[in-house]
Amino acid sequence: MMRSYSEITKKAFFRNTAYRSEVWLRIFGNISIVFIQVSIWTALLGTGSLNGINIETMITYSLINTSVSMILMNKVIYVVDDKLKTGNITLDLLKPINYPLLLFWDQLGNVIFQVIFTVVPTILITWFLFGLTFPTNPYFIVAFIISLFLALVISFLIGYLVALVSFWFLTTFALDWMVTALITVFSGSFLPLWFFSDGWKFVAEMLPFQFLGFIPAAIYMEKINIDEIVWIIGKGTMWALMLWFVAQLLWWRAIRRLVIQGG
Amino acid sequence: MIYVEGLSKEYKQFNRASGVIGTIKNLFSREHTIVKAVDNISFSIEQGEAIGYLGPNGAGKSTMIKMLTGILVPTSGKVTVNHLVPHKSRQEIAKRIGIVFGQRSQLWWDLPVEDSFELHRRIYNIQDKDYQKNMDIFLDLLNLKEFITRPVRQLSLGQRMRAEIGLALLHNPDIVFLDEPTIGLDVIAKDNIRNFIRQMNRERKISIFLTSHDMKDIEEICGRMLIVNKGELIYDGTVEQLKSNLSASKIITIEFVVDPGDAVVLENAVLVNDSGIRKTFRIDKGLDSAIDFVQNLSKRYPIKDFVLQDSNIEDIIRMYYRSLEKDNSTQMTKQEKLSVIY
Ligand SMILES: Nc1ncnc2c1ncn2[C@@H]1O[C@H](COP(=O)(O)OP(=O)(O)O)[C@@H](O)[C@H]1O
Ligand SMILES: [Mg+2]
Repeated sequence: MMRSYSEITKKAFFRNTAYRSEVWLRIFGNISIVFIQVSIWTALLGTGSLNGINIETMITYSLINTSVSMILMNKVIYVVDDKLKTGNITLDLLKPINYPLLLFWDQLGNVIFQVIFTVVPTILITWFLFGLTFPTNPYFIVAFIISLFLALVISFLIGYLVALVSFWFLTTFALDWMVTALITVFSGSFLPLWFFSDGWKFVAEMLPFQFLGFIPAAIYMEKINIDEIVWIIGKGTMWALMLWFVAQLLWWRAIRRLVIQGG
Repeated sequence: MIYVEGLSKEYKQFNRASGVIGTIKNLFSREHTIVKAVDNISFSIEQGEAIGYLGPNGAGKSTMIKMLTGILVPTSGKVTVNHLVPHKSRQEIAKRIGIVFGQRSQLWWDLPVEDSFELHRRIYNIQDKDYQKNMDIFLDLLNLKEFITRPVRQLSLGQRMRAEIGLALLHNPDIVFLDEPTIGLDVIAKDNIRNFIRQMNRERKISIFLTSHDMKDIEEICGRMLIVNKGELIYDGTVEQLKSNLSASKIITIEFVVDPGDAVVLENAVLVNDSGIRKTFRIDKGLDSAIDFVQNLSKRYPIKDFVLQDSNIEDIIRMYYRSLEKDNSTQMTKQEKLSVIY
């Protein structure tokens, strides 16, 4: 069984190589984002610091946050949406394999491709241009890796869930637009959650989006109290389970509708 | 291995009013009509049989395949495949069936054809030696060699369909469902596919359930055919039987000087197509009666021209479909409809 999923990941990886020319654009785009953020923060912070955050910290933060955003799987929304609306989903239902799982492993192939061809080069170039700090405490390194995995799973489930919702209600485009906006704001891409006002910080902490950028970056930078980490990882896991549960529920309803109404 | 009894499927089709007012109305009312896509159909299929399921567009062929494979729940009636109810044991049944939809693809668009086969092997957990054996055979019989390393998006429709069919048979299924596999293909590709399917049926005793609106597919592959129209089963028997039923009959197309109207129907003749001054009749009692028929007719109505032909099975069915379209308003009973064929 495992063999078939890893095969899917492998194929998805190679599927990406068909669009190699995009790689340079992505790397360039990423470095631009980091560069712009570094410029802004240099202007704002100068040589000083704000809430204990100085310019070196911000460089690392924006690089990690940008890199994590490259491996998010919320664009799976378009895959599911297309499958459901064209009825091609029926072919996947006729395979002796679990479709949502298949999809996750498929997306993982894309992620691995992104990591190798976009994220790693971006990190190397940024490191060379602006310098970079690394975590030293092994405890944080382990927590960081777990948080990356949570970012994958949560972003996947959000995309998957939104596609299912759009099957009944709105246009996919509108929903995707909204989700992307929420991720941009609440994952701390523009502004780290450290600088949010108390009210907004509370909102951000109530939502799952912080796990899609801010949390991994904060853990990487060891900016989270060591005794809080377990609690945060636990919270992320709860989010993943909850989203999975709701997605599963909607998935069965969508399938039921398909098999009764015929799409 | 397949058992179908009194199977029906009704679809709700929502009426969409157009215009501004219509759009607003659509928001509030969901008026719908019920379409009977499959209407009280019964049959059963043994292991190793090759069934042709013939019918014009919209006859309910795809709907039947979807119910047999478990991706559509019947409105009423019974269906079992290998003693399992398809929509309740979809994944179980999936391991033992192969499926090809002429209009959809199972291949990975951006990857070389061989990658889809490789993946299929993993998903269906195919043993290495079975995989090798089948690949060797398919590469040759389906001529996959010439494009197996090319990305699917670069294939012609015929090449793609050959690959789809190979894929559907890779895991040695008990039965293969093919929904209009030859649609849109050229003669050579059609031929290749038909030969392959026939060979798999004969040599491996794989059951075939093939839908088509092309009579030739069925004549060449299937021993038994089911004809459906507007959801109803109107013929179930061998191709030979249908042919011999029809061979005694002659088809005559007569061109009148003026349209004689409906009153023209005589005994021994069935009006199968009526387009005003051109009418086509089927005469069941051989050549002599056909000649009598023309003579009788010409005494009463001036005739400009006539064409006499042997009833080719395909023509009969085509005309038969057309006559059904026409008689739609007059509501023939099932028995009357059958009498057109027998
Ligand atoms: N999902 C659906 N919703 C509503 N009506 C449908 C649906 N699918 C098919 N139909 C209708 O059911 C009838 C049979 O369709 P189908 O089984 O696709 O026929 P065929 O495959 O023989 O061309 C047609 O009238 C078609 O319009
Ligand atoms: Mg069809």
